[in-house]
Amino acid sequence: MNADMIIAEIKNYIEKNILDKSVHIDAATNLKKAGIDSFSTVEIILFIERKFGVAIPDEKLIPDNFNTLQSLSATVLELMPDTN
Amino acid sequence: MLSFNKADLPEKVTLSGADCFHLVLDKHAKKHGAGGNVMRKIFYFSNALEFTRIESLLKSSAIIYWLCNIKLKYGTPVSPPFWKYIDEGREIILLEHQVINESEIPENILNRNITVTSERFIEADLIYYPSGACAFVLSWNHILLDAKGTSLLFEHLNQLSENKAQSFDILFPDIEKKHSIVAHIRNMYKIKKFVRISATAPVSSVAYSATKAGDGKTSTKVISFNADETKQIHENALKSGSRFGPTLYLVACCSHVIHKLNQQRNKAGDLWIPVPYDGRLRGAAGPVISNSVSFLFYRIPQSELSTVLQTVTCLSKQMTEQIKNEIPRKYSMFLKMMRHAPLWLYYFLIYNTNRGVFASFLYTSTGDNFNDLKSLFGETIKNINMIPALTYPPGLTFVFLKHDELLNLNIAYSPEIINNNELVLIEEKIKKVLLANH
Repeated sequence: MNADMIIAEIKNYIEKNILDKSVHIDAATNLKKAGIDSFSTVEIILFIERKFGVAIPDEKLIPDNFNTLQSLSATVLELMPDTN
Repeated sequence: MLSFNKADLPEKVTLSGADCFHLVLDKHAKKHGAGGNVMRKIFYFSNALEFTRIESLLKSSAIIYWLCNIKLKYGTPVSPPFWKYIDEGREIILLEHQVINESEIPENILNRNITVTSERFIEADLIYYPSGACAFVLSWNHILLDAKGTSLLFEHLNQLSENKAQSFDILFPDIEKKHSIVAHIRNMYKIKKFVRISATAPVSSVAYSATKAGDGKTSTKVISFNADETKQIHENALKSGSRFGPTLYLVACCSHVIHKLNQQRNKAGDLWIPVPYDGRLRGAAGPVISNSVSFLFYRIPQSELSTVLQTVTCLSKQMTEQIKNEIPRKYSMFLKMMRHAPLWLYYFLIYNTNRGVFASFLYTSTGDNFNDLKSLFGETIKNINMIPALTYPPGLTFVFLKHDELLNLNIAYSPEIINNNELVLIEEKIKKVLLANH
């Protein structure tokens, strides 16, 4: 799985479950500015863990890793076993 | 001039589950002689707002007109309560006040009640000070609007001020999705079990049902943090494990203060705090009308109150678990179902879950909703304050509001519950714990 595919999966989840249909995001959109709050971030973490079978360790749970879909995807790639 | 056609306003708006919960709180407020279920937002300006311009602008709002021309129709077992729009031509009343003491809000505004039988569910006041500064106060019954709805209402007023038209579709709630009765019953059992485990007595509270409020007065104490202090609080939140926003840290700090107060009163025990969770999709411009909140419920055992870090960890685990189990969504569905219960039964069930103690204390935050609201009616906002509807018991609410990157804490309390010495303790302790080097 590459970065683009991960971005597409997470984007699809966020647009379907978290964001209003009037809000559009792309890989570089600042998620906080788009309306993602702390509760939604937890929902995204739970989705990532479920979807990609990775556990995000405490040291990776920092706002920088959750700024954009790009940074989220980079975090997921780092944690996926076949990319290490 | 009207910016809308009166005949286009919705004739019927069904109360959401959270709105009905507020109906119960209204009943509770009456029973305990507390000060009503009224929210107030206060905007301070350095320059005086022109009375006639503001009055004309408020009168041109479809939402405000609707709020002045509705009646509550109680529900039946087959139909939930709803607001019926009865166009009687009532417009909002904007009152003018001249006050000598800078920033003071007159008592007659703070003590004015808006009940379910009032003619208007929203009221406005303009207060002028000798310095040339002024304050605009908007008061409304909490059954109709929640905190996010209010921030959207002010965006709507700003758009009117800029002559931008808005569609009714985003201002009023959508027709809700229906669930089968079987889904509702299954959900009810799950949520009842969860709440029973989470909230079961004994929990300690700053006030118990046996106590009755005196004159129903709400007192407030505002603590303002400067830019450095606000930054410090956000850094502390991050360091303590409240990683994606300060909420858990703020709740943990408030919990430590209340634990200290309860210890002083020899009533220490577990704490139980329902924290509001906005049920709207993120980034949505509406609805303005109706409460869309659900709750996350935190129970903090005394053993988890040794350090703030420990408390944040405890809260973080509970938050993740509850989001994983979709508790806010399920609780919201439960509240929807409860709309069909007679009010007296609903009240009995809520009241008896924890022997009349709704919470150990209440916490609410406007998050970033008002942080970027720089101006209202085209005038730069100097400061914002929010006075919550004080639920009694517990009769103590911590309200955090961030505006222009500065954090404000408003401690709203019933003087029958918190005496002067205790208020000093709360004030000193909350500042100390929020700014401590954890």
